[in-house]
Amino acid sequence: MKRKYIGIERKEARWGFAFTVPAILFFSLFSFYPILNALYTSMFDKRVLSLAAPKFMGFGNYSYIFTSPDFWNSIRATFVFTLGTFLPIVIFSLMLAVFMVNLKSNKVRGFFQIAYYTPAVISSVVAAAIWLIMFDPRGLGNQWLNALLRTPGVDRKWLADATMVQVSTMVVYFWKYIGYFVVLFITGLSAIPPAIYEAATIDGSSKWQAFWRITLPLLKPTVVLVSIMAMLQCLKTFSTQYLFVQGGAPRAPINVITLNIYTTGIRNQRIGRASAMSIVLFLIMLLFTWMQFRFSKSEEVEY
Amino acid sequence: MMRFKRFSLSTVLIWAALLLVLVFTLAPLLFMLTSSFMTSRQIVRMPYSWIPDPLYSANYLKALAGNDGSWIFLRNLFNSLFVSITVAITTVLIASITGYGIAKFNFRGRNFIFMLIMATMMIPFEAIMIPLYMVATGLKMQDSYAGLIIPFLVSAFGVFQMRQYLTTFPSEYLDASRVDGLGEFGIFWRIVFPNCAPVIATLGILSFRGQWDNLLWPLLVTQTEKMKTIPLYISKFAEEKLTDEGAMMAVAVIASLPMFILFGALSKYFIGGSAVYESRKG
Repeated sequence: MKRKYIGIERKEARWGFAFTVPAILFFSLFSFYPILNALYTSMFDKRVLSLAAPKFMGFGNYSYIFTSPDFWNSIRATFVFTLGTFLPIVIFSLMLAVFMVNLKSNKVRGFFQIAYYTPAVISSVVAAAIWLIMFDPRGLGNQWLNALLRTPGVDRKWLADATMVQVSTMVVYFWKYIGYFVVLFITGLSAIPPAIYEAATIDGSSKWQAFWRITLPLLKPTVVLVSIMAMLQCLKTFSTQYLFVQGGAPRAPINVITLNIYTTGIRNQRIGRASAMSIVLFLIMLLFTWMQFRFSKSEEVEY
Repeated sequence: MMRFKRFSLSTVLIWAALLLVLVFTLAPLLFMLTSSFMTSRQIVRMPYSWIPDPLYSANYLKALAGNDGSWIFLRNLFNSLFVSITVAITTVLIASITGYGIAKFNFRGRNFIFMLIMATMMIPFEAIMIPLYMVATGLKMQDSYAGLIIPFLVSAFGVFQMRQYLTTFPSEYLDASRVDGLGEFGIFWRIVFPNCAPVIATLGILSFRGQWDNLLWPLLVTQTEKMKTIPLYISKFAEEKLTDEGAMMAVAVIASLPMFILFGALSKYFIGGSAVYESRKG
């Protein structure tokens, strides 16, 4: 009896291995090996076309990039983009989600949800391409802003001015992802039981009070998680900046880390230096992911 | 009376905000569609006229044939479709079989394997693209379908989703099938896989989108025009945009059609699927 039981267990283990080993091999080759390789290569002066063996230089690549104004500019560009994008996205999508949850009709809410989500469906290259044309000096970007501010005929230099081109990339991202984050917040909001609001209304609270005293505190874990998710997305932005630079926008203001890795590693063939930048990007994102795990563990709300 | 008035004011403001954002999200899409039927001069006319008049459809011919009349766009379109569909299928298959193995089989090291796969979610593609490019070159995969597809065969997020879904799958069904003499692969293929339909749809769409949208990796791994994908074709247009805005928007419309069709047919899987953390390679 006992022996047979062990036999089944063994058989189960064998099948378990058989089903999981292919994926493990895959991830080893295409995830773990590359990140370890990046760490290793970042210690060498490796170039693609050079025939000489790569020279070991310890932390030389790191000290190079951390003293290079070009890389500091990339870190600045990445963080400016991340802050300038995730804050408006989180604030506006939370606001819109609260508005939409208060809509009486499910059909109307569903319509808004789908309409807001539509830009997230198209690819980021297409999104950047549309806005590239709308930001033409004679394009809709200027026409709308001038109509809104009643300043006819002013050219905002969306793609030419160093500050404006940063704003432009943020607008593209904001436009593309606002609906995505509205959906995330609606999911979070619908988890709050209506009984709590009913109790608050009976106690005489207004909708405004209910939002600040009930919705926001209960939604705090969602807000934190969604914020970190948005930041992680923004930190690895590439397509918009790449396309804008291709379209003739100045590179320096929007030369985010990913774009810099691409230029350094592929265009300039400085593999070692690009690997060091990759490791820095990895560590920054790891910090945010770690924060995400910390919060999702400690901030669970039970109703 | 006061209360009623205040309530209606806030309602008006809420509706104004919702409609304003509606215009903001939909107008650029409408701009893409209308301007794809306009000449460059019409596109930058002030104020922009939302109805193309006359309807200028030569943009689509220019988009399909290219400036040099090479029709390479069709090949690039095929590449994008082929890569995206293949990755969607392999991701669903491999993720479900791996997720099933982790969820329903007891073996030593199971939790370790699961942790390992989860850990790869913390490695952003952007941070490993350079070494990955070296791997692809080492395996002689550059400028080929293998190079475009193999690094994305399965995603850790997919395994995670499948595992979460299958953990709640009743083990009694599996045992009953074993008693009936079905082999382990037979159980997976006939019992488990067909029962994962909702996750399969969400995951398939997510993987398809990931590759349809992928600019960075094809940018590294492809060299010849005939191996390029749609995002690369569009970015090539960006360099020439001053002369070809209408054609660029026509390309954008064609490139968006598959996603719009999928979204129209399966919007609930899009919106449901976005409620969870996006794929690391999204």
